Amino acid sequence: MEHARHVFRVLLVLLVLVIVVVVGRSFLIPRSFGMYGSYRFDNVAEQANARPPLHRGARSCADCHDDRSQALAKGSHARVSCEVCHAPLGTHVKDGDVVAKMAVDPSVRMCGYCHQKIEGRPDKFPQVAFEQHVEGGLGDRGCLDCHDPHSPKL
Amino acid sequence: MEETRKGTPASEATPAAPEPCGRREFIADAVRIGGGAFAILAGADALGAEPDKYDWDAHRWAYLIDTQKCIGCGSCVRACKAENGVPDGYFRTWVERYQVSPEASHVDSPNGGMHGFPAVKTAFEPTKAFFVPKLCNHCKETPCVQVCPVGASYRTRDGAILVDGERCIGCGYCVQACPYGSRFISPVTHTAEKCTWCYHRITKGMKPACVEVCPTSARQFGDMKREDDPVRLAIAHGRVNVLQPHLLTEPQAYYLNLDKEVR
Amino acid sequence: MPEITGFAFPNDIHVTWSLMIVMYPYITGFVAGSFIVTALYHLFGKDELRPVARLALAASFCFLLIAGLPLQLHLGHWERGFTVMVTPNFSSAMAVFGILYSFYLVVVALEVWFIYRKEIIETARQSRGLKRTFYAALALGTYDTSPAALEIDHRAIKLLSAIGLPSACMLHGYVGFIFGGIKANPWWSTPLMPIIFLLSAAVSGIALLVLIYQIKCKLGRKAIERETVQSLVRWLWFFLIITVTLELLEIIMLAYENSEEWHIISPLLTTRLQFSFLSVQMIIGSLIPFILLFIIVTMNRYLHDRVRNTLAVIASLLLLVQVFSMRWNVVIGGQLLSKSFRGLRSTYEPHLFEKEGILTALVLFVAPFVLLYVFDRILPIDAPPGVHAPEEPVSEAGVSPGTA
Repeated sequence: MEHARHVFRVLLVLLVLVIVVVVGRSFLIPRSFGMYGSYRFDNVAEQANARPPLHRGARSCADCHDDRSQALAKGSHARVSCEVCHAPLGTHVKDGDVVAKMAVDPSVRMCGYCHQKIEGRPDKFPQVAFEQHVEGGLGDRGCLDCHDPHSPKL
Repeated sequence: MEETRKGTPASEATPAAPEPCGRREFIADAVRIGGGAFAILAGADALGAEPDKYDWDAHRWAYLIDTQKCIGCGSCVRACKAENGVPDGYFRTWVERYQVSPEASHVDSPNGGMHGFPAVKTAFEPTKAFFVPKLCNHCKETPCVQVCPVGASYRTRDGAILVDGERCIGCGYCVQACPYGSRFISPVTHTAEKCTWCYHRITKGMKPACVEVCPTSARQFGDMKREDDPVRLAIAHGRVNVLQPHLLTEPQAYYLNLDKEVR
Repeated sequence: MPEITGFAFPNDIHVTWSLMIVMYPYITGFVAGSFIVTALYHLFGKDELRPVARLALAASFCFLLIAGLPLQLHLGHWERGFTVMVTPNFSSAMAVFGILYSFYLVVVALEVWFIYRKEIIETARQSRGLKRTFYAALALGTYDTSPAALEIDHRAIKLLSAIGLPSACMLHGYVGFIFGGIKANPWWSTPLMPIIFLLSAAVSGIALLVLIYQIKCKLGRKAIERETVQSLVRWLWFFLIITVTLELLEIIMLAYENSEEWHIISPLLTTRLQFSFLSVQMIIGSLIPFILLFIIVTMNRYLHDRVRNTLAVIASLLLLVQVFSMRWNVVIGGQLLSKSFRGLRSTYEPHLFEKEGILTALVLFVAPFVLLYVFDRILPIDAPPGVHAPEEPVSEAGVSPGTA
């Protein structure tokens, strides 16, 4: 055994190393790790609070723009949320105050997202080939020249 | 799930000074939703809970997509990008267009469908065409959680698959493991990101942004633990399908009217 | 923006695993392959490999020191890399990296220590000042070089070799498992993947040793042992045959079963990977070395030493390229196909000067050789002539074969 002293030295060094790693590791594991699985449970609440919701739904627009909402509800865009054509509510109102003008894209492109005639849309869905929609072509005109976006059926 | 807002008193007595309507509501909302500490309930805490706490054991979320209703407007893609700050060129959700005939098929998704779909001429004459919205399926037996080396990817008790942005090391293994291409490494945070079913919204009784804006209700979100939930009823009684069922990942995003061409 | 043919899922067009992830299995392949050579001597008693045994161990060690770097460079958050040892999620093959790497590092370091212990002590005894302190510390403060102690060293070396061989195999095999376990990717998902990776590693390790053994002999003006080269070449040929057989088998099986996987892999191989797979990996990298090694093995008796050595060098160089191209084709190739199974993206081109770029890869490849040189300066790889090398059993009383 006397001749194996160097082996014991080596094993001792290894043991110290292992203890350092194991103990050190326990300090580094996050507190809430493993509570409900192999993950950091605190993150669940973090994700739930990650950001304030930006979209608030059409009903929240009705709080201030009730007239628009009523008009919308009577027209053929009744099921289209305001935030589809306009921007999310969170860009317009923060903490109860208006922070910016509500954005809207009145261009033909905007209406075209839904109503340009392309393959794939259900047949019953109202769509038009813009170039053939009006006598002589659209030219400089837009959809909104004739259609009210909140009650578009003519 | 309906929003848990109280009825809005639009005809409240207005003072002389002009004021944004329903201001009180907005403030209450902000405190409730935007600002204060918001805890997740777990287990026994559910009893006698304060109204602000969310009990994840009380819900089991599911998503339903009806490809027959989707019109390919791309509102969902735009809404998701705005709601979640998705970087350009990456997608938490997208829409694919299929043009199919018995002999051939053509699929495209220009910029994920974010700006709608341009007309396209195919080499063959399609006999049917449709749109298929896609997103993270929040699978029950998900390979992405299985392969995360550090436990950054996980499944919540209410059924959402989330990524802990503080622990993710950005190795990209989960991106490779996802059979649906739902994940990406964000060039901004250098961690894995994907659709979270807008966890910051559904824990407050709202719907994910994509569901909120969908004009045709092609996308629906529901709670499998609620008896009368329309999504649950559709899944329980309708003819539903999931993507790549042979992989047995058990997706929680179900499809109605899914064509065999869709992978 | 990459060009896409067909349809790819929008997120699929980005190549997440870059050149660094090609370099990582390439380097750990050398680690495993070199250790196989040293184990062939220490464990399986192939005496003709004695001249390369210490070189192989040193090479394994030096490549191991670099092996972790490509991964660190690839991570989105390299500063969190250590968390794989803090909270490993063991359902993930990648999680075992920390443990396997550390364990194997300890095993190799210990084996190096036991082999060199006698020489470390003698160097310490013959030096003064700082050098003496350094070598004394390296010897852990013991000075026992009696035959009994050396006998213990000899047994320890054998034990470490026995533990080290499966560890080295697992260190590289798990990399194959990382790919093989991804059911989402048809190019990767096969149970053959860990085996192919490991056998390919053996090829790369042996080829590397054929090269550096000859270079070392030339630099040290020593004779290149005919039997050593012949033995290495035989093992190389053997592993090459099995590796290529399995690589081809996987593809043949896919083609035969003709499922949806083949419908995307076939265009992948014939369009995107045409050069790197068919030309480089198979023809230049496999067929030609196969023929060269075939000549050496079967015509051993008729070959002049010079011819044998040259053919071996050419074959080994080609095989180093072959193994690299195999890693490239697996890692990058698998990401060129979309999970939609309908689209392929244009080939990935790493840049010269980026973090995960070509220059970095070259530095990573050269660094182990630099370390090998440093290693040789501290712990000479060739035992001093006339000195009884500790790995020899002491029972050969007094007569030391001495390394040529």
